[in-house]
Amino acid sequence: MSFRGQPLPDEYYFLCMLHNIGATSSDKSLTLEEISRRIAMEPGKVMEKLERLIEEDYVDVNDCGGIKRYQVTVKGIMKVMSMYS
Amino acid sequence: MRICMLTWEFPPRIVGGIARHCLGLSKALAKNNHEVHVVTLEFPGAPAFEDIEGVKVHRVRIELGHPNFITWTFIFNHFMEKLVAVLNRNFEFNVIHIHDWLTAPVGIASKHYLNKPLVSTVHSTEVGRAQGLHSPDSFLIDGLEWWMTYEAEKIISCSGSMKWELEHHFHLPSEKIIVIPNAIETSKYERRIDREAVKRRYGIAPYEKIVLFIGRLVPQKGVEYLVKAIPLILQQHRDVKFVIAGDGWSKNYLEDMARSAGFADKVRFLGFISDSELTELTMSSDVLVVPSVYEPFGIVALEGMAAGVPVVAASVGGLSEIIEHDRTGVLVYPKNLESLAWGVNRVLSDPGYSNWLVQNAKRKVQEVYSWEAVARRTIEVYENVCKR
Repeated sequence: MSFRGQPLPDEYYFLCMLHNIGATSSDKSLTLEEISRRIAMEPGKVMEKLERLIEEDYVDVNDCGGIKRYQVTVKGIMKVMSMYS
Repeated sequence: MRICMLTWEFPPRIVGGIARHCLGLSKALAKNNHEVHVVTLEFPGAPAFEDIEGVKVHRVRIELGHPNFITWTFIFNHFMEKLVAVLNRNFEFNVIHIHDWLTAPVGIASKHYLNKPLVSTVHSTEVGRAQGLHSPDSFLIDGLEWWMTYEAEKIISCSGSMKWELEHHFHLPSEKIIVIPNAIETSKYERRIDREAVKRRYGIAPYEKIVLFIGRLVPQKGVEYLVKAIPLILQQHRDVKFVIAGDGWSKNYLEDMARSAGFADKVRFLGFISDSELTELTMSSDVLVVPSVYEPFGIVALEGMAAGVPVVAASVGGLSEIIEHDRTGVLVYPKNLESLAWGVNRVLSDPGYSNWLVQNAKRKVQEVYSWEAVARRTIEVYENVCKR
């Protein structure tokens, strides 16, 4: 995938979508199923991208009573904003 | 005067220059006894309301989301609009001031339903950032920018080159656009730092020189030309480390470029760092490079000048207005590796010349680019639109 003429990894588009659907703080964090439903992407693919973004510190995961919830980190928010600023 | 300033970026939500600009301007306006209400977006850890040196900052909670970025901007504009309406009931604003297309919808709506004049500061344009309109999103953003400039009573442009761009791209009458440059807070550079300790923090030896880039890692900033010019600089100066502070969607591409060229050990990609770290790093550097291909103003060059670091910048847009070649910095040809390397090598090779540039640059920043002056001129614009 490319953005303004340069290659852009798929997971950054995914990060942008995760930010735009509002998962930007712990009280707005979302489960895998919720993310999958809101951005219309298979859970397997969502998981793959989340894992990569967690590695890069753009996404954080919390365990809430055995259920994993995901949110974009401050570093991730900055990354998304840099695309359109 | 009661001012309602609308921006999607305000500290601690900082990416480009808009956040720093809005903070500096609003603080200077408040210092001159104007009542400034900044309406901006929520950010993790930042309060919904705070008073920063007299500036009332309101952060909007965005209650809805949508995967598409443009749709999301319309959603947050709607939530801002609701807050502006509530605030206006209590404070009765005199003027609405927006910054770039991201808050254009709320600014335009507020202008009409509150019957207040709208002032818009254009920090950059989509056609400039993307170097053309190559996607449906870019066309949409370009259209919003045109609409914003059409609806605003006055447009503030940060440089003469930006004014030219607005006149020609959006066919605006010249008298509608007022050029008011950006400014910076110079007091943060008035302190001593331990350069060796700063270098140690980033794994740089005391004897190594730092060539610094600060900014978003996006094509308009021209970082790839700096990375490509590394071998030409190393040919003359082996003991140099290239430090790149900032993040952006081109980061992986640039890291791969440095790695595949065999210079991974010479380049440090730091990502976003805090403001205080940035100040110390800038003051510890030997050259600040601004290799932009498009730069309506170039506030980072001003920061370098104030910090006492020689600046080597591409001769584009506002940079060529801020920097006087061979007096307050070195201007090089944009997108030209040989020229860029020549500029960096020249500064690194001659400490006397470098020091002379620094002294001239510091003086110019203090004389021309103060927030007090910018606030005074902005008030003149507000008063002018309020008379109509």
